[in-house]
Amino acid sequence: MYKFLTGPMFWLSLCICLIGMIVRFVLYFKGLSWQLDRVAYKAYPVQGFKGAMNSILKWLIPFGTYGWRKQPFMTVIFFGFHTGAILVPLFLPAHNLFLKEKIGISLITLNPVFADILTWSVIVSAFFLILRRISLPEVRILTTAYDYFILLLSMAPFITGLIARYEIGSYSFWLTAHILCGEALLIAIPFTKRSHIVLFFASRAQLGMDYAIKRGGMKGKGMAW
Amino acid sequence: MFKNILFATSATEASDHAARVAFNMAQIYDAKICIFHVLGVPTRGFSQLVMDVKTKEKVEIDDEYIAWVEEEIKVHYSKQLKTAKSFNIKVCVGFPHREILREARISAPDIIVLGGSTGNDEDSVYKNSTVGSTLQRVAKAAPCPLLVVNRPAASFWGGISKVVFGTDFSKASDAAFKFAVKLTKNRRCELNIFHALDISSMHMGRLLTQDEIESQIRESLRRIRGRYIDEMKEIKDYSFDVWEGLPYIEIVKYAREKHADLIVMAHHTQKSSNEDARLGSNIEQVIVRAGCPVISINK
Amino acid sequence: MPEGKYCNKKPIETEEELKELLGDTGGKKYYEEMKALDVDSELLWKTIGNTLKSRTKTWLEICAHCGMCADSCFLYLINDRDPKQVPAYKIQSTLGEIVKRKGKVDNEFMHMVMETAWAKCTCCNRCGMYCPHGIDMGVMFGYLRGLCYQQGFVPWELKIGAGMHRIYRAQMDVTNEEFVETFKWMVEEYEEDYPGLEVSVDKEGADILYTVNAREVKHYPEDLAEAAILFHLAGENWTVPSSGWEQTSLSMFAGDWAACKMQVESVYSAMERLKPKRMVGTECGHAHRATVIEGPYWAGRSNGKPPVESIHYVEWLAEALREGKLKVDPAKRIKKKVTLQDSCNYIRNNGLKEITREIMSYIVEPGYFIEMTPNKEHNFCCGGGGGFNGIGIFRPQRNKALITKRDQLINSGAELVISPCHNCWDAIRDLEDEYKIGIKWSFLKPLLVSMVEIPEHLKPKE
Repeated sequence: MYKFLTGPMFWLSLCICLIGMIVRFVLYFKGLSWQLDRVAYKAYPVQGFKGAMNSILKWLIPFGTYGWRKQPFMTVIFFGFHTGAILVPLFLPAHNLFLKEKIGISLITLNPVFADILTWSVIVSAFFLILRRISLPEVRILTTAYDYFILLLSMAPFITGLIARYEIGSYSFWLTAHILCGEALLIAIPFTKRSHIVLFFASRAQLGMDYAIKRGGMKGKGMAW
Repeated sequence: MFKNILFATSATEASDHAARVAFNMAQIYDAKICIFHVLGVPTRGFSQLVMDVKTKEKVEIDDEYIAWVEEEIKVHYSKQLKTAKSFNIKVCVGFPHREILREARISAPDIIVLGGSTGNDEDSVYKNSTVGSTLQRVAKAAPCPLLVVNRPAASFWGGISKVVFGTDFSKASDAAFKFAVKLTKNRRCELNIFHALDISSMHMGRLLTQDEIESQIRESLRRIRGRYIDEMKEIKDYSFDVWEGLPYIEIVKYAREKHADLIVMAHHTQKSSNEDARLGSNIEQVIVRAGCPVISINK
Repeated sequence: MPEGKYCNKKPIETEEELKELLGDTGGKKYYEEMKALDVDSELLWKTIGNTLKSRTKTWLEICAHCGMCADSCFLYLINDRDPKQVPAYKIQSTLGEIVKRKGKVDNEFMHMVMETAWAKCTCCNRCGMYCPHGIDMGVMFGYLRGLCYQQGFVPWELKIGAGMHRIYRAQMDVTNEEFVETFKWMVEEYEEDYPGLEVSVDKEGADILYTVNAREVKHYPEDLAEAAILFHLAGENWTVPSSGWEQTSLSMFAGDWAACKMQVESVYSAMERLKPKRMVGTECGHAHRATVIEGPYWAGRSNGKPPVESIHYVEWLAEALREGKLKVDPAKRIKKKVTLQDSCNYIRNNGLKEITREIMSYIVEPGYFIEMTPNKEHNFCCGGGGGFNGIGIFRPQRNKALITKRDQLINSGAELVISPCHNCWDAIRDLEDEYKIGIKWSFLKPLLVSMVEIPEHLKPKE
């Protein structure tokens, strides 16, 4: 089982994820229509690119936008969740050891203590994200079972990973469960709401271009996100 | 002289004294009278909804509603309508001053008779919509003489025997003078030319000596003669007077003393449109206070 | 009954149809018929297939249901934070649901959609600025309105409004002749005060082609006179077109894209015919949006621009004041507390926030200008945008929506609000009417006319 998961299954899930992401990204931009969206994307590539970058970067900075500043609590748990959720899978020492063994390269690695902190912050933030969904009426009304499913799917590798990390119960069982969850997550990325990993950038870029090209970006100081 | 009278009315009691004058004129001059009523002010952006000026309710305007309002007007003026040789009733929607002016531009009447103010009522529908009163705005831009009857006491129009013409020697006053002369000749009546020396604002802060005042009065009398006498050859009875004081008060006093049946004055276009215009220029004050109808001329 | 006499899927094509629909007072029969109007699911789904592409599809799909848009929506805030007013919910439960059901929705559902699209969203686009994913629900509601219009589920006034554009190429029954005649009339009325004041119609190659809102012609033509006076005093070489003078587009509010195209093409053809250097539009927000921002796309112009450079009145005014073409008499500057209403349609959606403030710096005595909170591109809708002002059946909702602006104005402490947008101006007038807070409101033109210096050679001779 372990062998299958770290062997063919690993390659399969990684390919599905990467190719899927690329396909979705490309399809998104291919599907943009200047006439239907009413944005002359091609006519103003430079302004469009600047607007897109601005729109993305501002939102990547915690408290960098009016939206983030308006909701400080959400901002903290959002970045608490996403920072860990991106950094840990990519830069955990154990993951990189595995990568080195598989493909012979490894990325920079996180300090293990820091990695622990990030992982915990993912779990704690996710807990608050769930709590927020339950307690705030304006979020509750939007929330569907699917949202919880996606959230749990995203948390699963972290929870199983932590259990394995602290060697509670059977290490090999939790490790297998961790790998399984991780791969399930990778496969799910292109097909579910988790596609926002790439589509966040796409969608933000689109709105950035919209404002930069059509809605006044070429007038005045531009948009204060 | 007046073959075509445009009588703009609120179709309420406030316009009744003006109605008496308007119908009276129509009878004397055998004129066609158009009873013009702006029934509502547009509201709600681009929608079909208007605020009814009488009920102050928001109503949807359709042909039926307009027909109903026309009927109401017919009932309101049923007695007077019998005396009119030829009349028509027009009802429309819009801001009153603008619609009255629009109608005046289209039908080119010889005179507009404007009904009384809709009152000092703060929530009058007409007033709510624009700065300045209907009167101010119509008087400013009317293409023909405008006759206003504000007080019930002023609502007499029978045989005119005395016309008071108030002048300030402006170009607009010349036009008013021409009209006054024409009217006087037409009615074969008496013309009293009057000028008030404004001692309130002319020498801000400085008190004039009586000698100065009297010399200015003499000067003004000279100007009246120089300016107007040539055109008054055919008029038998006329007089000139110059008094000092607050112009509009002096004119009203003068008209009362002369038992005038009508005051003719020029409207001054230059003054107005700032918020102080609410207090009104001289003519507006005269209109409010006079004991007879007032005709305003602006060109 | 599939199609009613008044309420149906057909746009208005003739003057008779328009009159007939107008004759249905308040849309009574119209709405009655709407209750029985069938939904053409096949057409609906086909249209969605043709027009709902990756942008909107992605928006609907990746919405994280995080609810961060809630606080950005003034309708949510003013309706006691009703969760049903959360922008994401509003769009997911309407457009999202139609897509999910592949267009198979019923009459009752479409009634709900209509109310949501016109009474729960003014297309102010504020939520798009607060969504981490950059999902602009205002844009989606604009799209949804198009679907509603196609299916005949559109408020009565807007069906008429779109019909007006189709018949008269104006939002009201103002003909080209009436427009020219009214403009001339106004100039005549004021030429004594401003010697040499004139309006030239259809002058080729002028520096400025001026376009207006039909309501000015119909109800307050003084606005035309004021525009003429200011151009005159600034020494501009300007003209108006005898056709294609109407800049507004109620068809945009209605979602009647075909009528939008007809309307905006009438303006563009005037530009092409007269070849002015620039087009200046009146103080109207949605008119600018329709003709300058969205219009080029309806007309199929791939550079996203009208045939000639087109600017909003505030841009011209700021320029005239900056360059000294118009000089404000310092003694006549506004010396009472004054605030500025930022119109969504050209502040948030066309970046003119600095320009309008520059104007304030010229016409308001220093120290008297107060900003509303929030302001600029983050300002709230006046409460009557997107057609909300004019829709009879949604009046109660609209009046409630005005409370946002009312409270913003009260909190600013201003006595006067300058509102260079017809829609905002109307909404503020209505809120004063409804709530009596003692605020005054004004366009820029009358203020400027009362305070600019008249150059010696343009003064009337005594």
